[in-house]
Amino acid sequence: MRMNAEVCDQCGECPSACPVSDKIKDFNPRRLIAKVSLGRIDELLNSEAIWTCTACLKCKERCPESISPYDVILELRRLAIREGRNYPAGIVEAAKSVEETGVIQQPQAMRTRSRGRKDRSSLGLPPAEKPHDLKKFAEALKEISK
Amino acid sequence: MKYALYLGCTVQAEQFGYEASVRAVLPSFGVELVDMQGTSCCGYPSHSSVNLQAWLYLSARNMAIAEQMGLTLFPLCNGCHLSFVETKHALDENPRLKRKINKVLRNEGLVYTGGGELIHILELLHDAVGKEAIQRAVKNKLTGLKFAAHPGCHAIRPSMLGRPDDAENPQKLDDLIRWLGAESMDYPGKIDCCGSSLAATAGKAVMEIAGDKLLAVKKHGFDGLVTTCPFCFKIFDNRQRAIQATLGEKSLEVPIFYYTQLLGAAMGIGEERLGLELNQSQVDPVISHVYGGK
Repeated sequence: MRMNAEVCDQCGECPSACPVSDKIKDFNPRRLIAKVSLGRIDELLNSEAIWTCTACLKCKERCPESISPYDVILELRRLAIREGRNYPAGIVEAAKSVEETGVIQQPQAMRTRSRGRKDRSSLGLPPAEKPHDLKKFAEALKEISK
Repeated sequence: MKYALYLGCTVQAEQFGYEASVRAVLPSFGVELVDMQGTSCCGYPSHSSVNLQAWLYLSARNMAIAEQMGLTLFPLCNGCHLSFVETKHALDENPRLKRKINKVLRNEGLVYTGGGELIHILELLHDAVGKEAIQRAVKNKLTGLKFAAHPGCHAIRPSMLGRPDDAENPQKLDDLIRWLGAESMDYPGKIDCCGSSLAATAGKAVMEIAGDKLLAVKKHGFDGLVTTCPFCFKIFDNRQRAIQATLGEKSLEVPIFYYTQLLGAAMGIGEERLGLELNQSQVDPVISHVYGGK
């Protein structure tokens, strides 16, 4: 990760493309890459910044050095979780839901404009799908996560 | 044309207007949709920020189910589609991890070879079904309406992995809109993000990011915004009230449609079969225009 960040020219393409840099002052992919190349990883692992990327991939698309701040951010997130740093609860909740039920969210009854409710069956949609053997599925995920 | 239909978490749990309209329109074009059995989340975004191997395993597992069916995998969600493409790329580059994943997949009787085909809804409609068939199917021409195309980030980036449309100048969704008899044109922010993946962590920023897009769409005189991404739809349509409140723009009304809903309406398919009652934005004037054939 550091090797990759070290080729950054600090040209500024990524913050000018980034939808978040415009809205949240503390978030700037160019500065984030600079910190990675200076080895200030620990500081980043504790920062909120790594959790405020929308994954729009514009930085990856436009980086003239093919660094991809997006991929660096994902790597930092996984490192922060592995090391038990502070991270948004929603991140691991989604993973936990998949491990237990196979999917991020369970089918709901959705509101209509006329204030009614519709679910899959009332719309004639087939039942939602999930892994047939959830126990085996969870074990497999645990095994591959090692 | 026969495809393995992969819904993904968001569509099967709540974005019923997308699924219903896809199921209502595609068979008319000779597209056979086969429901997949035993699928799970594609791993994005559930595991992409948590554990790399688990993410790639989940995507590979769903691709392996499609391989077992002997069919091209057809995910409805931009996020799932990119997750499959990223996984294939990663496992092509890393045979050791591919072997490791296959060792675990064997417990469920699955094999991921990486040889399966994948198709995005823009490719299916634009490239496989095509202009002639779509124009022939249109009964209610959408004349006099102008729609902003919003393909969504993951449908167009990153170009290095091969996406359904151009990263900087996507035109397929615009073509699809025009084939219905409506107008479509570029607008500032067309390839910008909806912000949805920050919904849990930075709600206000998301509303501002999405609001910028809706303001641009309104300013340029569009009658609505059209997308094929469930995450983008969720923000622009389901959360439009919250966007209005955050921006202090109570009159910021932009009707939001899944492309397949508009296509179905143009084909004369009843609105209940297209799940149009579930759109929360003010779609009624456009719907009456289309069905009224004005």
